Amino acid sequence: MSADQLSAPGTAQAPAPVARRSARPPLTRRLPRLALHLVLITVSLAMAVPFFWMIITSLKTDPDLASHPPGLLPRVWDWANYPEALEYAPFGTYFRNSLLISIGHTALNLVMASMAGYALARIPFRGSTVVFMGVLATMMIPTYTKIVPQYLIAKGVPFFGGNDYLGRGGHGWLDSWWGLIIPGALTPFAIFLFRQFYLSLPRELEEAARIDGMGEFGIYARVMTPLVKPAIATVGLLTFESSWNNFLWPLIITSDTELRVIQVGLSAFQQADQNAWAYLMAGTTLATVPMVALFLLAQRYFVQGFANSGIK
Amino acid sequence: MSSHQAVDTARRHQKPVYRSTSLPTSSPRGDRPRRRRKFGHERRRVALLLLAPSVVHLVWWIGIPVVATFVLAFTDYDILAGTVSFNGLDNFQEIFGDPTWNSSIWHTVVFTFFTVPVAMAIAVVLALLLNVKMRAAAWYRTAVFMPHVTATVAIALVWMWMFEPRLGVVNTMLSWVGIDGPAWLADPDWALFAVIVVSIWKGIGIKMLIYLAALQAMPDDVYEAARIDGASQVRQFFSITLPLLKPATFFVLVVSIIDSFQAFDQLYVLTPDGGPGNSTTVMTYEIYRTAFKEFNMGAACAQSVVLFVFLLVLMLISRRLTGKEDDVR
Repeated sequence: MSADQLSAPGTAQAPAPVARRSARPPLTRRLPRLALHLVLITVSLAMAVPFFWMIITSLKTDPDLASHPPGLLPRVWDWANYPEALEYAPFGTYFRNSLLISIGHTALNLVMASMAGYALARIPFRGSTVVFMGVLATMMIPTYTKIVPQYLIAKGVPFFGGNDYLGRGGHGWLDSWWGLIIPGALTPFAIFLFRQFYLSLPRELEEAARIDGMGEFGIYARVMTPLVKPAIATVGLLTFESSWNNFLWPLIITSDTELRVIQVGLSAFQQADQNAWAYLMAGTTLATVPMVALFLLAQRYFVQGFANSGIK
Repeated sequence: MSSHQAVDTARRHQKPVYRSTSLPTSSPRGDRPRRRRKFGHERRRVALLLLAPSVVHLVWWIGIPVVATFVLAFTDYDILAGTVSFNGLDNFQEIFGDPTWNSSIWHTVVFTFFTVPVAMAIAVVLALLLNVKMRAAAWYRTAVFMPHVTATVAIALVWMWMFEPRLGVVNTMLSWVGIDGPAWLADPDWALFAVIVVSIWKGIGIKMLIYLAALQAMPDDVYEAARIDGASQVRQFFSITLPLLKPATFFVLVVSIIDSFQAFDQLYVLTPDGGPGNSTTVMTYEIYRTAFKEFNMGAACAQSVVLFVFLLVLMLISRRLTGKEDDVR
């Protein structure tokens, strides 16, 4: 028993680099390392505290929550909070709406941005540079320089939501799936990223396909695009993430509860019911867990994308 | 032009065009397929078809709105009747006569002034520590980066619960060391501070990541040369690492300031309606309130223009400082 316990950490350290001269460096050399790990563990824990606290709170009972010095762990692990929260507020609907919008944004962005990125990278035509400069310019436009007219445009789409042909009289795309999905369906950064990836492909490939009699669209869709899978993964994941986390646009264009996305739903729930912390934390956990899971599974693409965009 | 192309083509034929599959950052004029008369027409038609959806979308949802913001800022827009009439600088006079807007500018500057440098300092230290080769580095990096990936609204609600005056973790922990914590988000003196803490926590990850990328791109031979010359570790850090981090620092600074000036979600959630005694109204919140609560679109556009001018000036200053190397970004 005790031998087992002793050998356990030893086996964990066993796959040390073969090239190391002595099995263990002297203590004086290991001390800075130890301090380094200590600092990093402290920081990592500090960063993770809100996540732990969110999950722990979501599993506490009401009397447990009201106890004055809050206990570190729930006295009773109240898993029923989750089904109760889903019944108490339409978190299920919010979750579904967010999911549908995120999938819609991801699909549309991948199709439109890859098409545009391909055309800019591989097909020479007059005005190509101008279009590319335009794309770069739109990348730099701050959200708040366009949000007010975007709202007015969405409100004034003709023939929708009771509007006449001039876009007057009704509410247009406000409170509609159109308004939730179409305006945010394309990011200029995705076009830029796709263009950079398509640029790196060898020309021989498309020439071979052309000699075999393949059409230009076929070359884009069936020869070149399968070769930029890393770009597809990066753009897809970043689009899904930012769409899922988006708050301002759904906040301003929806008032119908049926069309609320999860972020707006959570915020509205808190403002309506200021003390239902366990339910709120259950809803918050549902809103964050998919993103955390996605990030852990595909960290490489996220990191690559973020390091290049810098901005969210 | 044609001679240029010929030179380009010749150069391209000399070296293989295969490049690494990691993110290429070539110049805007990369290796384009050579134009062929026979296919020219069809190819151009396909290019137009491929570009059309994106161009339409960008013009519709970015191009027109940007122009409209600058036009509407000088108009009186009646949202119910849908009529527009020019009113000169009235909107600007109106917003600068509003003490709430003026204080929101001040709050935005204070918010940025404290959020950005603190988060950057922590981020650069973490990046330097994480640049040491160790097996656990990936875990630490993930933990530090996690707040950036999660939704601001969701995680701000968790912080709201942590800042709860009586039952929250923050005041409980403070009571361990004998401090009687304030009411944080409900206290006009502490609300902005609490929001800044959350924003720093959330902003460290992306800054750390950019610094880490810069550190890992640093050339080894410079350090080797320094070691041969007998430079100590400390000397290497101050004479090599820090100067080489300068471009990354400016890049992070620009991106962070732009982000910070546009922060909205955490402020909206943590301190609803501009916070206690309007102590946390920032420019973005004022734009939101003017446009979507009061439906005064002209004034909201004027406020957007002011915010844009702030960002433009800050970007130009940093452009002067960094030079033009990051053009393509």
